[in-house]
Amino acid sequence: MNIRTNKDKLIAVSVMGQIASPGFPGLPAVPYQLTSEGVPFLWPTFGGIVYNVSVGDSAYGWLADCIHPGVSIKLSDENGNRGLNILACVGNTAIVMTGEAKGTRGVVTGKSGRFSEHVIIHFEKPIREKMAIGDKIVVKSFGVGIDLLDHMDVKIKSCSPELIEGLEVTTAPDGKLNVPVVRVVPSHLVGAGAGLTSEGGSLHIQSTDKAALAESGLDTLKLGDVVAIEDTDSSWNHGYLRGAVAIGVVGQGDSPRSGYGPGVTVIMTSASGGINPVLTEGVNIKDIFGLKN
Amino acid sequence: MPIATNEQHLVEMAVVGNISQPTLRHGGYTINDVGVGRVLPGMSGVVYNARVGDPAFGWSGDHVEPGVSIANPENSAEYALHYLTCIGNRAIVTSGLAKGAEGIVTGEHARLLVDFAPDVLDLLCVGDSIQIISHGRGLVFTDFPQIELKKCSPKLINSIPIEVIDNGKKIRVPVTMALPPRIMGSGAELNSEYVDQDLMSGDRKLMAELGIDQMRLGDLVVIPDADHRWGRGYRKGAVTIALCIHGDSVMTGHGPGILALMSADEPCIEWVITPEANIAHYLNIR
Repeated sequence: MNIRTNKDKLIAVSVMGQIASPGFPGLPAVPYQLTSEGVPFLWPTFGGIVYNVSVGDSAYGWLADCIHPGVSIKLSDENGNRGLNILACVGNTAIVMTGEAKGTRGVVTGKSGRFSEHVIIHFEKPIREKMAIGDKIVVKSFGVGIDLLDHMDVKIKSCSPELIEGLEVTTAPDGKLNVPVVRVVPSHLVGAGAGLTSEGGSLHIQSTDKAALAESGLDTLKLGDVVAIEDTDSSWNHGYLRGAVAIGVVGQGDSPRSGYGPGVTVIMTSASGGINPVLTEGVNIKDIFGLKN
Repeated sequence: MPIATNEQHLVEMAVVGNISQPTLRHGGYTINDVGVGRVLPGMSGVVYNARVGDPAFGWSGDHVEPGVSIANPENSAEYALHYLTCIGNRAIVTSGLAKGAEGIVTGEHARLLVDFAPDVLDLLCVGDSIQIISHGRGLVFTDFPQIELKKCSPKLINSIPIEVIDNGKKIRVPVTMALPPRIMGSGAELNSEYVDQDLMSGDRKLMAELGIDQMRLGDLVVIPDADHRWGRGYRKGAVTIALCIHGDSVMTGHGPGILALMSADEPCIEWVITPEANIAHYLNIR
């Protein structure tokens, strides 16, 4: 039986961004960040058109800091960008409005948080070749306000109705919401993003301790994988609470920085334990949305 | 014998800030952990009735900054104020009715936090200049170069009864309590040279079970398995000794502010639990 929602009452509204340029700090032109060992590194980081990394690829191993697969957009007006970052939902359609790729369509796959505040969009690789930094992209935002009518203890964030349907969530015999996930992130590996807004942005899986990462099977995550985060309440900001659960999509790649690692776009949460994560191999939005390279 | 340091090679340098005015977001609300909007004081300005040594929990406030909060309006000077100031540094009022009064740095939040004697507070005006004799950047434990020190003045280090143990292989530091790394929250996104990281106090039952709700402003605490040398992250076997600098918060993912003082990625820092481990006591503030 399909999960009942109020999607027939949701508003679809445009939010626009422009393809963001990668950025670095200004003078005195020290471009380095430090790894968790204190060693300076200089790698590509968030923003821009990423030609060779897509949802479905590994979240690890790239010589990059929190790389965004595909295309990153933002709006230079700060309030407008808040609108984009909050209202865009994973699974929403994005339409290119200017430039050589005008008229082509992509799919929102994630969001990034404090210091970049981008919306991350998948486009097929040949389309990326036609794009330019600054091209305008409109997201047909649809999803904020959605409720699961039989699971009002579950709050939905940044999540399109298509993602809820594609995830094939079900009601368990005990009344909880069964959500298929590939892995469960233990609370001690929750890092950057804690305490920040859960209506946009990202919550990072810490990857400094490789043994701890492997113990939880998190070292094989792919971009686009759906994961659960234990003891985490993302109702109003992200924070620690025993029994709470957050569910998210791996939206950004790994990072060598302390407190960072793959970034998760949180799509639902229950403070009262109303979500039951069900370990299932291969739950990835690449397949849910049929994304092609 | 006090622990050996390179104190004699440190540079003392003045940095300046002004007493800040509290600011609020339009609308005024802070959303608490059950989704209710609250309007609460606590940050910036002169806080007359919360001081280092007082409880960190229980205030009807949010992120209460004890004492006087100062900032510099000029961007790079503000970073110098943040990065050079160390806990235990002297602070001198250089303008206004309290000119000449001396205080002591007790924390770094989005502003620097300075304690003054209660009779000074009524003489302080928002905007008054306070100069800090910064002293401590570059400090190392000569025999423990693997321990990264953050924002420790020589005065602070010399005031804490740190023991060298285990045939010189480890140090032992007094703390009031140990924090589980899984409750370390907001601030993980920042580098560990800048401000603090809140412990996440939203699980109120856990706070009571572990006695964390007894924390006081100025307490020294330990976070096992936390590496705060270059950022703030989880690493099994690492140890971080930190200082409680501001009060609790109603916001999810927030709570009392925990500022790293010493951190190592190997288990060379031991600790001993004692209620005395508070800078109000060690620095003779009150």
